[in-house]
Amino acid sequence: MKKVIMGNHAVSYGVKASGVKVISAYPITPQTQIVELLSEMCANGEIDAKFIKVESEHSALTAVVGASAAGVRAFTATSSQGLLLMHEILHWAVGARLPIVLTNVNRSVGPPWSIWTDQNDSLSQRDTGWLQLYCESNQETQDTIVQAFKIAETVRLPVMLVLDAFFLSHTYEIVDILEPNDVKKFLPPYETDIRIDVEHPHAFGNLAGPDTYFELRFMIQKAMEEARDVVKKVDAEFKEHFGRGYGVVQPYRCDDADLILVTSGTIASTSRVIIDEMRDEGIKIGSLKIRLFRPFPFDEVYEVLSKAKKVAVIDRNISFGHHGIFFQEIKSALYGRTDVPIIGYIVGIGGRDVTPKVIREIAEKALNDENPERDINWIGVKM
Amino acid sequence: MKPARIPEEEYMTSGHVACQGCGATQAMRFALKALGPKTALVIPACCWSVIDGPFPHSSLRVPLFHTAFEAAASTASGLKAGLEMRGDTETTVMAWAGDGGTFDIGIQSLSGAAERNEDIIYTCYDNEAYMNTGIQRSSSTPVGAWTTTTPVAHYKKRPKKKIIDIMAAHSIPYIATASVAFPEDFIRKFKKAKEIKGTRFIHVFAPCPTGWKLPPELSVAMARQAVTSKVFPLLEVTEHGKRWKVWKDFEPTPVRDYIKAQGRFRHLKDEEIKAIEEEVENNWQLLLAREQMSMNLPGLNKEDDDS
Amino acid sequence: MGDKKIEFGSYKEMPMCAMSVDDMLWNHTGSWRNVRPYYDPKTSPCRTGCPAGEDIQRYIFLVTEKHYKEGWETIMRSNPMPSVTGRVCFHPCMDKCTRGDYDQAVNIPAIERALGDMAFENYDWIVKTKASKKQKVAVVGGGPAGLSCAYYAAKLGYAVTIFEKEKALGGVLRWGIPEYRLPNDVLDKAVKVILDSGEIDVKTEQAIGRDFSLEDLKKKYDAVFIGIGLSRSRSLGIDGENMEGVEAGLEFLKSINSGKKVSQGKEVVVIGGGNTAMDVARTARRIGSNVTVVYRRTMNEMPAIRDEIEEAEREGVRFRFLATPASIARGKGGKLSVVFQEMQLGEPDESGRRRPVPVEGKTFTMDVDKLFTAIGEEAVLDGLDSVEQEWSLIKAASRFGDTNIDGVFAGGDVVTGAASVVEAVAAGRAAAEKIDRYFDGKEDPAPEEVRTVGFKDMNTAYFTHAKRNEVPRISPEEALSSFDEIYRGFDMALLHREADRCFSCGVCNYCDNCWIFCPDVAISRGENEYEINYDYCKGCLVCVTECPRSVISTREEGK
Repeated sequence: MKKVIMGNHAVSYGVKASGVKVISAYPITPQTQIVELLSEMCANGEIDAKFIKVESEHSALTAVVGASAAGVRAFTATSSQGLLLMHEILHWAVGARLPIVLTNVNRSVGPPWSIWTDQNDSLSQRDTGWLQLYCESNQETQDTIVQAFKIAETVRLPVMLVLDAFFLSHTYEIVDILEPNDVKKFLPPYETDIRIDVEHPHAFGNLAGPDTYFELRFMIQKAMEEARDVVKKVDAEFKEHFGRGYGVVQPYRCDDADLILVTSGTIASTSRVIIDEMRDEGIKIGSLKIRLFRPFPFDEVYEVLSKAKKVAVIDRNISFGHHGIFFQEIKSALYGRTDVPIIGYIVGIGGRDVTPKVIREIAEKALNDENPERDINWIGVKM
Repeated sequence: MKPARIPEEEYMTSGHVACQGCGATQAMRFALKALGPKTALVIPACCWSVIDGPFPHSSLRVPLFHTAFEAAASTASGLKAGLEMRGDTETTVMAWAGDGGTFDIGIQSLSGAAERNEDIIYTCYDNEAYMNTGIQRSSSTPVGAWTTTTPVAHYKKRPKKKIIDIMAAHSIPYIATASVAFPEDFIRKFKKAKEIKGTRFIHVFAPCPTGWKLPPELSVAMARQAVTSKVFPLLEVTEHGKRWKVWKDFEPTPVRDYIKAQGRFRHLKDEEIKAIEEEVENNWQLLLAREQMSMNLPGLNKEDDDS
Repeated sequence: MGDKKIEFGSYKEMPMCAMSVDDMLWNHTGSWRNVRPYYDPKTSPCRTGCPAGEDIQRYIFLVTEKHYKEGWETIMRSNPMPSVTGRVCFHPCMDKCTRGDYDQAVNIPAIERALGDMAFENYDWIVKTKASKKQKVAVVGGGPAGLSCAYYAAKLGYAVTIFEKEKALGGVLRWGIPEYRLPNDVLDKAVKVILDSGEIDVKTEQAIGRDFSLEDLKKKYDAVFIGIGLSRSRSLGIDGENMEGVEAGLEFLKSINSGKKVSQGKEVVVIGGGNTAMDVARTARRIGSNVTVVYRRTMNEMPAIRDEIEEAEREGVRFRFLATPASIARGKGGKLSVVFQEMQLGEPDESGRRRPVPVEGKTFTMDVDKLFTAIGEEAVLDGLDSVEQEWSLIKAASRFGDTNIDGVFAGGDVVTGAASVVEAVAAGRAAAEKIDRYFDGKEDPAPEEVRTVGFKDMNTAYFTHAKRNEVPRISPEEALSSFDEIYRGFDMALLHREADRCFSCGVCNYCDNCWIFCPDVAISRGENEYEINYDYCKGCLVCVTECPRSVISTREEGK
């Protein structure tokens, strides 16, 4: 069944389709509609789940951690300050190897107060050990929720699904709504032996000395590495079931490209408009959307970008004192494998609109500048 | 031998790494004897994060999930919800936190869980300071006490936070205080709590010989004297925060004796001890007044519910 | 599970997250211990206070556990007549009772009496021991010492014959103690319990030196025990002593106890301050006399049991202290005119009591109908010339009652002079055991090293103040009007209430405290004991502090 729904509601439908048993969340703009709809679905029996209406995001994630420890599918959603408040428990969920799915609606961090989008909230959680998937459309958002549970439960790591505030969260698009019964075949009910169970009592998270902690962390890294293939496999399976797939990266018209724009989130779709426009003008340009940020898809990125003459990375984020974060990531992914020049561009922070014109400006700068500032170029700063 | 005074089953084993004379381990042992094997624990940062033993070992025979310092009540809420969604409605989920994790850093999530009336037991085993980190003051540290952050020259000037009042204000179905020196009463309260649905808060007085500068053999004696000197009254609050019942059937002992026995109060001068004695008596009188008041509320069952 | 800490050789052996897979029992925290607690039962002070060494704590504990038979058996191991001592003993045990320092001493005799009496109703408790040994024992004197010796000798497997001078057994218990303190039927039952416990033959109206000689016995028996007590009242040694109306108190009691009519005097004076004086005075009150007890020292020095003095006062017996009769003459109307010398207390004598000395020139006179002497008794040692004597008593070679003659033993008042029933009982038992060793050629045991505990050793937090439960009694008015027993004994409720007051000093009564409070679960609760597991005991010593009765001791590790 197709419906025109906002991005936030696409998340809710994804959660419904996944057979989630415990949801806990705390309101924060621009994520609120996700939990409002879920709350309603729980209340009217559409979803057989408990909704714990906690007093903070910290508690939201810990409640979900508790539920997941009991061995059930559990979900939470948040944004910005909320995600930052969860930070401690993001680590906890990973250390406890709990397959939680969290949706973060990218929102700028205060002060000053801002409710508009950029990626600094989620990207600053880069090293917590969560898988991160950045979505571009409402359909992808809904579908990725379902995929995320399957991935998470396979590798026993939590998954964060990220979408842009307003540009996606509050934007209405047509979505083919997944039916829970159809999804069951793809995502059967969650079962695990590693859980809190009075019949098989174990203690989880006891003090680990230097003699064991190292290996436990090593295993998380191994799981992350394994996740690279799992994400692809799950996506492929999903495609078999539902006819839609998203890959870990999405190249667009990259085959003979002189310049490839590296994008994420809604900027990816905006970029495609300019790419088509410039291709029509005879300019060999393409784009590569990064969907899977953690674990980072080194090979897929290399395979696409190594064929380009130039790479321009568009970052809606900034690592202060360094560069755009995707830029850093791309650079490190290609280091030692190719000499292709990589140029970094900072755009759209605090929700400033990244219009097709802005993308074109970047593309032209990247193509035409003889000696461009390689690492960091702020686009649209009022100088 | 005659029948045992408390259940014989053990759910805590030897080999744990608590200090000598640790009240918190006695508390755990009693609580699990009362609750039995169908109990799941959530433990935030506290002495018990260490006491249980290092991975891959545990000295408890019930499942246990360690969580972050401020997160005992919320994690327990989620765990209970998760177990119920698995169809396990029998398991008692108990958050087991120290005074820091309850009075201070964890009070927000505790308040949230209590307001939602989550179906959990929340036990605060109170040793009156951050003992696991090496004896720093908490809001549960009593007035007059030395800690490493309230040194003798600047000992704690503020009174202990009245957590029972705070919890009673949440209108939860059951609140009790319990002391490791009174095991039968302790176990009765945990058994009673087990049978009640909703948030049950039990404040357990658990002496810390290490942190109180007390010979370990006096651990239980101090717990007992805390009760008999009215420093730590044994009470129950039922009827959603309205009915207060205070235990009074003991031979009173001087507050002074309780204070004098502990190194953490050694610096106190006579007039300072006097002031504490007055404060203890005032609190006791307030408590009795509250109990009296609660007897006359319309619509409340006048009879004792059980004990 | 758990004797070794799990070490992982590879991450592949590990669970994916920090999940426990074993317990902590490998962690032997006993290595933390500096001081070691250990179970170290001590002796309750009441037991050391009891001349017979009754295991008082134990039988009271057994009462609390409703193991009455075992409680009774516990007493019977030291004292074969609890019904008697429970009524008439001066209970020095109670003076030692730790509870006395807390509130009031436990009413030990009342509990002893209750158990003793219970045996009468549960006669299956009494087991007759067969004479399994070839030797035969003769016991001369059927009073407390003789009965005790006979009982224990019989229990040791010997055939015993008791030779009693009077018509019935009991000695001083029968003739010297009034019925309101010890009813005859109780005594009869108590004697019967003893006689039914072994092969004991009784020959009454058989007096040594009159009906048979020591040599006769020596020929027929392998051992002889002499427990003939003190049967002759001491005389005052003053003028007029042999006048009619002057009588030995003991004779008076004997007449009353055997149901003889005695001439009643309106005004009676009793001379003496001991139990016999009290018994005489109170008996005389019961037959309607006005009684004055005259004692040469003060009430503080009176050797009588305190309760008896109080009862006498309650029953209207008057006391006149610091006076001693100097002469007796026939006065007006046939009364006795007794002149008393007033006394004062001087320097303490060898007994520690201050010696009474006459106040020069101060006398007074009392006109009375009767004067009873109760200033003590002496032994009648007819037919015992061959036995070594001292101070007109038999001289025992040891505390076990052996005499200068091989195979002849003695005990009770005839050895010690006037003492108590319980001491006689103790002497009888000691002699029986000695006789047994004598037959077997065994050494005497070394004196037992006894460690008792005191009030300071108790953790009184586990006790609540509770008044002693007194034995119900009839009113003083009722008491005065008959010879009915005054004290009626505990019912079961009182018995338990009083037994529950016992601190069980120094002896484990399975209160569970050590087991309950061990923070390290290092104390296990076995069938009949607790055990400390030193693999895990950290030496916090909470068990030591929380033991209410000081059963657990400590010692430094490595010492």
